[in-house]
Amino acid sequence: MQLAVELEELGTRIIDASKFLEHAEEELSQRIIGQRDVIRRVFIAMLVNGHILLEGVPGLAKTLIVSTFAAAMNLKFQRIQFTPDMLPADLVGTMIYNPKEMEFYPRKGPVFANVILADEINRSPAKVQSALLEAMQERQVTIGSQTFPLQEPFMVLATQNPIEHEGTYMLPEAQVDRFMMKVIVDYPSYDEELEIMLRSATNASKAPVKAVVQSGDIFQARGLIDRIYVDPRVQRYIVDLVVATRVPAQYGMPELAAMIEYGASPRASIFLLLASKAHAFLQHRPYITPEDVKAIVYDTLRHRIRPGYEAEAENIKPSDIIRQILQHVQVP
Amino acid sequence: MLLLIFSTGLLPASPAHAEKRVPAVTMMVTPDTLLVGDRIHCTIQITNPDQEVASVVWGDGVDSLSVRTFELVSSKHISSSLLHGQSREKFELELAAFGTGQQFLPPFTVALHDSKGNITKKIVYKPSTTVFVRALTDSTMRDLRPVKPPLKPPIPLLLIMPLILGVFGVGGLVLLLLFMLKRVVRKSAEKVDSGQVAQRKLRKLGSNLSAGMPPHECYEELSNIMRSFLESHYRIRALEAVTQEIERDLKKLGVAGFESIMNLLKQADLVKFADIRPDVEESRQSLHKASEVIRSTRYFRPPDQPVQAEEPQ
Repeated sequence: MQLAVELEELGTRIIDASKFLEHAEEELSQRIIGQRDVIRRVFIAMLVNGHILLEGVPGLAKTLIVSTFAAAMNLKFQRIQFTPDMLPADLVGTMIYNPKEMEFYPRKGPVFANVILADEINRSPAKVQSALLEAMQERQVTIGSQTFPLQEPFMVLATQNPIEHEGTYMLPEAQVDRFMMKVIVDYPSYDEELEIMLRSATNASKAPVKAVVQSGDIFQARGLIDRIYVDPRVQRYIVDLVVATRVPAQYGMPELAAMIEYGASPRASIFLLLASKAHAFLQHRPYITPEDVKAIVYDTLRHRIRPGYEAEAENIKPSDIIRQILQHVQVP
Repeated sequence: MLLLIFSTGLLPASPAHAEKRVPAVTMMVTPDTLLVGDRIHCTIQITNPDQEVASVVWGDGVDSLSVRTFELVSSKHISSSLLHGQSREKFELELAAFGTGQQFLPPFTVALHDSKGNITKKIVYKPSTTVFVRALTDSTMRDLRPVKPPLKPPIPLLLIMPLILGVFGVGGLVLLLLFMLKRVVRKSAEKVDSGQVAQRKLRKLGSNLSAGMPPHECYEELSNIMRSFLESHYRIRALEAVTQEIERDLKKLGVAGFESIMNLLKQADLVKFADIRPDVEESRQSLHKASEVIRSTRYFRPPDQPVQAEEPQ
């Protein structure tokens, strides 16, 4: 069986255009042991203009992944450590008075970069979080009376610590929804841990990360991703998965209705489709299959489902709810 | 409380007792000591030598407005005939005691009637019998009164026991029947061979294809038939699983014809998701392959437990 000519040609172009990601992955693997899934999710978000919320305990190389990724991708990187005394101006910039010329001029903040690592985003008050999330959504920043567009590609990777909640400001659901994916950074395996220990326990300075990507590569990849074929069956499958989080009883899961306070928003469907396309791109495929949807559905939906009181009482997490939904919604 | 039954001979208070053939009156009172408000049982027995009918009038001559020491609660009259023309009247009286201290029983009148009912003689008796009535003091009020034994149920348990056992028996029988029915249904369901069902569906699909069914729709149906077959035959989750997951589960089981099954599913995926338009001949070949694959798996023994799919987190 042969693919249609257009898809065949698209497939060939995808193979060529995705080579830069293979190089970047290779470069990242020089620095980071394991965390392959996290790195793939970061690639997916970058390919479809999304942002990522990374959640994991300290010391799991979250910052290292992001900084190495930015360096390999040849992108401007900024790390912003969020603190309780931070102000929006510390993030987006402010107007500075120039006494020589007797006028104010804008001084741009650290948000003016390609890759932003918002470290411990939940440590700063809501107004600072809002300033960043507004920049993420609008892709522009207003300082004084002037509006400045942010440089493309623009990507925010925010981290939060799941075990320490004292003195933190939890991100409101409406703001969490703006993150395309919430990726759980887990502990490395035994062998990975061994390799990390042997490689890092040295005083020798590490070789700088080589930039293997040009920004043009990213834009070319984005153009191809838009052309990836999505069959109506897969489109309906995506919508079924998202709607099942809102009305599980319609999908033969009446017991889940009490477990979910509210389900995923339409933004979830959009991001699930985009992420599935990027996943298919990484697989060098010019079309989406349900495999692509299933591969990223946990990361795309877990922060968009709010478990109800009963679920919390029974320690049922959003991942458990998603698993149940996947077991009940028929694959096309 | 000490219970004493005593009998006493009574003497008439009026001069009438001097006459001949005076009826013999005896009185028994029990108990001799009681609390205020308690009751005494008084039995008056009159043996009348003249076959005359006797009656007892209690408390005759006592002012009804004054507080009486004893109050008649109930009375019962038993009459019997004796030898030598004598008759015996027995009056069982129940009196409530209200006075306190040593109390004499009140006087009563025995009236004798002739056969026409006319009173022929009236004799007033003053009993010398006394009872001691205890007042309700603090100490007595604290005393526990004797508790009466519980009333017996109107229907004895032995009578309703067969009914209860019957209800339980019927219930058990119904449950047993349901259990047996479920087993029969399950066994008959297990007897249905998933391979045969799939073959029948494939034959029908082939005839639909010949009747002009579009080949791409044929592949969609073929995929569903294969997944249903895999789910029921190998006890894996196939209808809600993607091809990769099915591949992983089948690999675990090491099924015969694994490559052919996966080829068929992947071809169907290409038609479904990559907009490929196969021709009729390709579709026919795929149906034939599917039929062969199902036939070749006939002797595979399915696992006892369903295969648990591993889900990514």
